Amino acid sequence: MSDVVVIGAGLAGLTAALRLARAGRSVTLATKGPGGLQLSQGTIDVLGYTPERVTRPLDAVAAVAPGHPYASIGADAVGSAVSWLAEALGPDLLVGDASRNYQLPTAVGALRPTALAQPSMIAGDAAGGRSYAVVGVRQLKDFPADLIAGNLARTTAPDGSRLAAHSAFIDLPARRGEADPTPLTYARAMDDEAFADRFARDVAAVAGKADVVALPAVLGVRRSGVWRQVAEVIGRDVCEIPLPPPSVPGLRLYDALLGMARAAGVRFIQGSRIVGFEAADGGTIASVTLAAAGGPRALRASSFVFAPGGFESGALDVDSHGAITEPVFGLPLTATDAGPLIPEVYWGPHPLFEVGVRTDDAGRPAGPDGAAVHPNLYVAGGIIAGAERWREKSGDGIAVATAVRAADHITGGAR
Amino acid sequence: MKRLDTDVVVIGGGSTGLGVVRDAAMRGYRAVLLERVDLGQGTTGRFHGLLHSGGRYVVSDPGSATECAEENAILRRIQPGAIEDTGGFFVTLAGDDPAYADKFLAGAAATGVPATEISVKEALRREPRLDPHIQRAIEVADGSVDGWQLVWGAARSAMEHRAKILTYHRVTKIERDGDRVAAVLCRDEKGGEDVRIDCTFVLNCAGPWAGQIAEMAGASPVEVVPGRGIMIAMNHRLVNTVINRCVYPTDGDILVPVHTVSIIGTTDVHETDPDHLPIPRNEVQQMLDAGEAMIPGFRKARALHAWSGSRPLIKDKRVSVEDTRHMSRGMAVIDHSKRDGLLGMLTIGGGKLTTYRLMAEHIVDAMNEQLGEDRPCTTADEVVPGSRDGRLYTVTHRLEDREEDRLDDPIICECELMNRSMFVKALHEQPDATLDDLRRQLRLGMGPCQGGFCAARAAGLACSEQVADAERASGLLRLFLKHRWIGLWPILYGQQVRQTALDHWIFAGTLDVEHLPQPEEEIVR
Repeated sequence: MSDVVVIGAGLAGLTAALRLARAGRSVTLATKGPGGLQLSQGTIDVLGYTPERVTRPLDAVAAVAPGHPYASIGADAVGSAVSWLAEALGPDLLVGDASRNYQLPTAVGALRPTALAQPSMIAGDAAGGRSYAVVGVRQLKDFPADLIAGNLARTTAPDGSRLAAHSAFIDLPARRGEADPTPLTYARAMDDEAFADRFARDVAAVAGKADVVALPAVLGVRRSGVWRQVAEVIGRDVCEIPLPPPSVPGLRLYDALLGMARAAGVRFIQGSRIVGFEAADGGTIASVTLAAAGGPRALRASSFVFAPGGFESGALDVDSHGAITEPVFGLPLTATDAGPLIPEVYWGPHPLFEVGVRTDDAGRPAGPDGAAVHPNLYVAGGIIAGAERWREKSGDGIAVATAVRAADHITGGAR
Repeated sequence: MKRLDTDVVVIGGGSTGLGVVRDAAMRGYRAVLLERVDLGQGTTGRFHGLLHSGGRYVVSDPGSATECAEENAILRRIQPGAIEDTGGFFVTLAGDDPAYADKFLAGAAATGVPATEISVKEALRREPRLDPHIQRAIEVADGSVDGWQLVWGAARSAMEHRAKILTYHRVTKIERDGDRVAAVLCRDEKGGEDVRIDCTFVLNCAGPWAGQIAEMAGASPVEVVPGRGIMIAMNHRLVNTVINRCVYPTDGDILVPVHTVSIIGTTDVHETDPDHLPIPRNEVQQMLDAGEAMIPGFRKARALHAWSGSRPLIKDKRVSVEDTRHMSRGMAVIDHSKRDGLLGMLTIGGGKLTTYRLMAEHIVDAMNEQLGEDRPCTTADEVVPGSRDGRLYTVTHRLEDREEDRLDDPIICECELMNRSMFVKALHEQPDATLDDLRRQLRLGMGPCQGGFCAARAAGLACSEQVADAERASGLLRLFLKHRWIGLWPILYGQQVRQTALDHWIFAGTLDVEHLPQPEEEIVR
């Protein structure tokens, strides 16, 4: 029996568990897999598009429509939740704040707004007519340096300045005899100082003149500050550009949060799914059911934080007839028929992915009348309705703010 | 305006057109094929991949059954690289009339279609996902065929015989000299110039678009009724044998294992416009029900992609009866000399992919006759390029190849085991191609992730290999994503919703493709 059972090990679940544990609660975190951070870009997005490009995210948060996850939280609480996480992770992992967005190059050469980024990324912030030397590694297939540079070179930054960019490649296997390395293969190689030095020298030899040398986000996973070592050898600022999964910057955040949560006493149960629950009078959740290897097992607690992700994790399901459900608790959703919510056009909103659980102001799942359906069950992150997170660039901020809201309500720390 | 001179212009780059241009070229005619987009982008690329044994027609259309059986054997010989020898079963489901199987066996014997009844136990042993309540099972020589490999094989063969294959050439006008066809005018869509091709004969193989082409020559209207059918590709091979329902041919009664997927089809609904073929939700549901009837749990399997194709059915009462001798069954040849007093043009409709070679033979025979030539058909005797090792395709070929080169060459599309060399080679052979054009030949982005991981890599390679600048490469990526979605949204349920959300996280979340600088003009081809 714990005070709280947290379900899910993405950004929302880990944040909730850490905050609860640091507030002195005993916490058990149950998760099927390693969460979604390793699929993410490793920044903390708060709000990037409304759909216009956002430069001051908290101002935009204050103006979201009713029904948006931020609407019931408010800009101040979002800002302080994000600051709390940034302080917890420290400036070696996250810099910036929710009042201003960086505009960082992506691995196809678009400019992506994000509020907090890793210190290895921010020299890429597109402003003041910055010039980039985009250097790829021949063996690394997910960093198309020519495409990135070509697109940056035809980009006008939000401050109106024209960017400049050129590209180059180095040829440096991460491991002998491996033709198809992932970003993680390189990141692990970079944890070795000698390899990182060799990499930096090779990059310096081809980079040419530019304000900043843009590199794939593979500059170390366990050893911090690899980017500083590389920048020193090159003699220029460097910026890491996140790659499609597996994401090294996402893994850095995951490792750090997991380590802190463990240190704070959170107990982890990994590899098993939560498949159901038992309720007591008045809808209070008495326990959740873990599909453990030996058979179902009840995890009891006073409160539960449900942070399983959204459609991407299967926490929201669409069956072959188009019925949308939340399979674990059968929570009421903002829509139940997927059919009309899936448009025929790719570009533009896909309203299906805004479907989810609506909440009361405390972050508890609520019915259409706004009343909580289980008094001691809270939701956080991707399961909450009201935002197409990847389009808005709001997924991390929503996860952190709703996790902190849930934790604070449980500990009575909510304002 | 660019000018070319030839004997025959073949219009349409589907299986019929490619069969015809190959046949004509092999008989020594100078031939040019015009296709308004890419080869096999119409009906030929939008079927369920079945190489008919003839079984489907043994009761309803015995002539077609015999033709299918004969052509099936010929294609296995001349185009083995496009064909997988899956074999096929006709199964009587629990609620179906078991007596039909007797009619079927009698029909098969009468039409020369090899068919053997096997025990239910044996059928279930070989296809354990089949409904255990089936009553009877008959084994036939069905196969699966990759329509794109088929047409590209024919195209390469035709080119060896000096035919010209011009893709992305849209016919704009057919000129006459009195009562005779004189030239075809077309637009080179990629090169951006007009081309005039002087010719003595036009073979209109435009399938569902044949009516539009005939009109350009001033022929009286040819009524083409596109018969639309939808197909759904399921995530993997639910079966390794083609499964047909042993009933009088109806909707949604065939499940075909093709490459790494299995395809269920199809419906039959009349449409008016072959350029706009919907994939209605009710038909998706109908296909899932049909799949469930054969394979219990079908609805729980993951659907990857859906598409809609149209059969080019010609409704024409003015086709004179004497023309029927030129007809393969289910095929219609319109001789415009008799019908419209227009010499030097034939229009072809109907037909089946399995009998495409035979159709071509009939059509070119008809042209021979009009031209007073006696040049025999040799298409059944020559193996096409790409198939000359004589090996039938098997789904494990790519795995075998990657085992050989995995230490030298990265995989670009993990789902379909397409490596970098394959892609780069195709890029340089067809520098104007879109990612979709390359997809049809290489299966780029056709697996479970539907391009989630490979599409940006492909665009990056197009840029690095200098076949596209960043603007065009980005446009190609955007076009590819837009096109993949056409086949995704109608079947977005179950595991494919998860996949789509992940893909959205990658393209919108991490890469922000939507906010790349916009091209001056949207890339459309």
